[in-house]
Amino acid sequence: MNRIFAICLFCLLCGLAAVRASAFDNANEKFKSGDFAGAATAYEKILTADGPDAAVYYNLGNSYQQLKQYGPAILAYERARLLTPRDPDLLANLDLARKAAAAFEDNARDPRLEAALNFLSRNEWSWLVAGAALFLGSLALLRGVVRPAQFWPRRCVLVCSGLAGLAIAVGATALYLRRAEADRGIVLTDNATVRLSPFENAEALGTPGSGHSVHLGAKNGDFHYLEVPGSNLHGWMSNKDVGAITPGHGTGR
Amino acid sequence: MAAFWMAILICLTSRLAAAEVDVQLDRDSVPAGNGAQLTLTISGDNAGQPEIPEVENLIVQPRGQSKQVQMMNGHTSVSVTYTYIVGSNTPGDYQIPAIEVVVDGKKISTRPLKLKVLGQGAAQPPPGIPANPAGTSPAAENTEDASKRFGFLTVELAANDRKHVYVGEIAPVRIQAWLPADSRAGLRSGIQPEGKAFTLHNVSSHPQQSQEMKDGKRYTVITWFGGMSATKAGKYPASLSLDATVAVRDSSAPKPRRRMGGPFDDPFFDSVFDQLDTPMIQKDVTLKSDDQEIEVRPLPTEGRPAGFTGAVGDFKFDSEEIPNTWKTGEPQQITARLSGSGNFALMNAPDLTPADAWKTYPGKGEFTAGDEASFSGSKSFQFSAVPRKGGAREAALAFSYFDPAAGAYRTLTSQGREIQVAGEDIPEDKPAAAPAVIEPENPRVGLIGQHLKAAPAATLVPLVSRPAFMYLIEISAGLCGLGIILAWLRVRREDPKRRALAALEKATREALEAANAAKDVPGFFAAARLAMQQRLGALWNQPAQAITLAEIQSRIPDDSPVTRFFHEADRHEYSRLASGEILPQWRALLAEALASLTPSTR
Repeated sequence: MNRIFAICLFCLLCGLAAVRASAFDNANEKFKSGDFAGAATAYEKILTADGPDAAVYYNLGNSYQQLKQYGPAILAYERARLLTPRDPDLLANLDLARKAAAAFEDNARDPRLEAALNFLSRNEWSWLVAGAALFLGSLALLRGVVRPAQFWPRRCVLVCSGLAGLAIAVGATALYLRRAEADRGIVLTDNATVRLSPFENAEALGTPGSGHSVHLGAKNGDFHYLEVPGSNLHGWMSNKDVGAITPGHGTGR
Repeated sequence: MAAFWMAILICLTSRLAAAEVDVQLDRDSVPAGNGAQLTLTISGDNAGQPEIPEVENLIVQPRGQSKQVQMMNGHTSVSVTYTYIVGSNTPGDYQIPAIEVVVDGKKISTRPLKLKVLGQGAAQPPPGIPANPAGTSPAAENTEDASKRFGFLTVELAANDRKHVYVGEIAPVRIQAWLPADSRAGLRSGIQPEGKAFTLHNVSSHPQQSQEMKDGKRYTVITWFGGMSATKAGKYPASLSLDATVAVRDSSAPKPRRRMGGPFDDPFFDSVFDQLDTPMIQKDVTLKSDDQEIEVRPLPTEGRPAGFTGAVGDFKFDSEEIPNTWKTGEPQQITARLSGSGNFALMNAPDLTPADAWKTYPGKGEFTAGDEASFSGSKSFQFSAVPRKGGAREAALAFSYFDPAAGAYRTLTSQGREIQVAGEDIPEDKPAAAPAVIEPENPRVGLIGQHLKAAPAATLVPLVSRPAFMYLIEISAGLCGLGIILAWLRVRREDPKRRALAALEKATREALEAANAAKDVPGFFAAARLAMQQRLGALWNQPAQAITLAEIQSRIPDDSPVTRFFHEADRHEYSRLASGEILPQWRALLAEALASLTPSTR
């Protein structure tokens, strides 16, 4: 009975994977044939049905970029970057999209430090910190239970502890320096307007421009409070005009 | 006799001539809530107190009186001046009826006066100046004066010859706050754009201050320099605002006449004292600039160089350093410095030419401001490059930017330098060996194609933003704490000193139990002596066998219970007495001796 159940489950999983692969291939075919809008819709559907996927986000970004919708393209690339931060294709296309949208990044940090911080995604940095902390904790527990002489040479324990401590310190520093990314968003449309208060008819304060990176704040109804880095422009923007890179903070687009 | 009557006649005539009453208003109109000064001068002796008739909504407040006595050629004249402030909170035309005064028993009436009370915010022209000399609408003029009474802002592009800016350009602007010269002001905010499409950058933190005349008025002018930028093309009003608390002198307030005698009783001092006496009006105001429209032009797409990264301004090469000798595949440092004015934030390192012969890596750039508002300055770049092709060639640096003054893209090229590159050419597809250099930027310029294989589904929310992260950290901390506690317990358990002490305690306890259980005197004293020796040995850090009566006597007084117990034990041991009853006092002495081994005994 158990064997039959396992075979059924296996078949079901294989079938789901085949459907998913088929949808992905179909979307890619649309892109190849020049139907970029159709491809974008298909990629969006895959993401809605199956959850985040770096390749799908990347392809979605390409579709939007071909449609010259640089805001959604940059948003898709940034989301893909959360999953595959070292993908050179992704970084190159993101750079292209930013240049096309004239949404240049204004980094105050040293480029080498910036490159080192971005070598791992925030998720990878957090796993490094959590893993090193767990390793250090396990080592301490083992050290408490077993005598060092019976366990490992004392020097080996010290080196391992030092490395784990270093990983925690470096990872925690990277997470601290990149803490502002948690609430980053991308302006999606050219005419997206920052308003004085969260109402459609409130006074317009400025238009940051499509593809610009913003810091998202509190949410009020259909509006998000945001600040545009590098300027003193801040106010409320409609949720449909801005997308949070990390879902849960924004529009859910 | 005739002379006598003549003198009396002259005297009477002079007295009759002196009895007169004069009334004056210092202005014809006042704004509502302010007052005009009414002066009533009565010349003559025995003048009664004047009474101002009541007029509906008209407020009359007495402000004092003064008396002048003048003697000239034996003739004495007396005049009393009464001062009142007259005004109303209700705008309208008022008539002050004739004021009756009794002088020398005679009723004398003044002429009636007219006072116009203007609406709120209306400005009052100074006395003697026509209210509306230019013939313009008084309401409009008054409103404009009132709005600028506490000061105003002006903003203008520092480059006066241009009325437009480009997207991405930080256009230098001069922002001036014009405050009345005799005012006191405190700023409550920084300068803010009034919205629309502009943002302000690098507003100078130390504004300049000067005194200037404008439209015949003297102002204290505070000048800031800053940059305005726009991200979207179009025509937008560049309006700025500044919250301030400004106190100005209320010129409409009445100025009391100060003919009080004394050294300052001269018209020359009037303006000085009036200035000091004029009350200040303080108000929280928002100084605003006029909505001056500025055109924001998009950066042209035609002629945009491939190396353009968004720098807008006017730049030039100051210096560059390119090593003379190279080897293919080996990186070397290149430094360059560009100076000028513009948007340095978007300025990237210059490109090394010819582009196909080099592979460059991101470096660092350091900006040095040339002025307080960071418009001008210089930026130094330091980056690594690896030559791909061997042989002799000319190397130069190229930098592209958009010149807003000319409205065109420019590409600067540094002076070429002859360099020698040793080694074989490196094929395009082979990555150059670049130890200790950070991963290069992707040099491809077109859109890179689709990914054909979907990766496993994941989550976009990083672990650090999930509750699981804190759980993992707490578990790790718990494991660390548990490990430390266990290690401490183990170390404590395995400590040789502690183990020896525990063994000694156990032996002492057993000896005392043996003493308590002993049935004969020698057995009791032997066990008790052993227990005492072990206890004292532990205290004095000596072996138990070394604790003798002599050792004890050298450390403890003879009358102590310990010494007495050892005396008793020795006495029984050396006397070889037959065994008998164990006396209760011996047990008591043992208990007392043990109890006396307190830390003070050590």
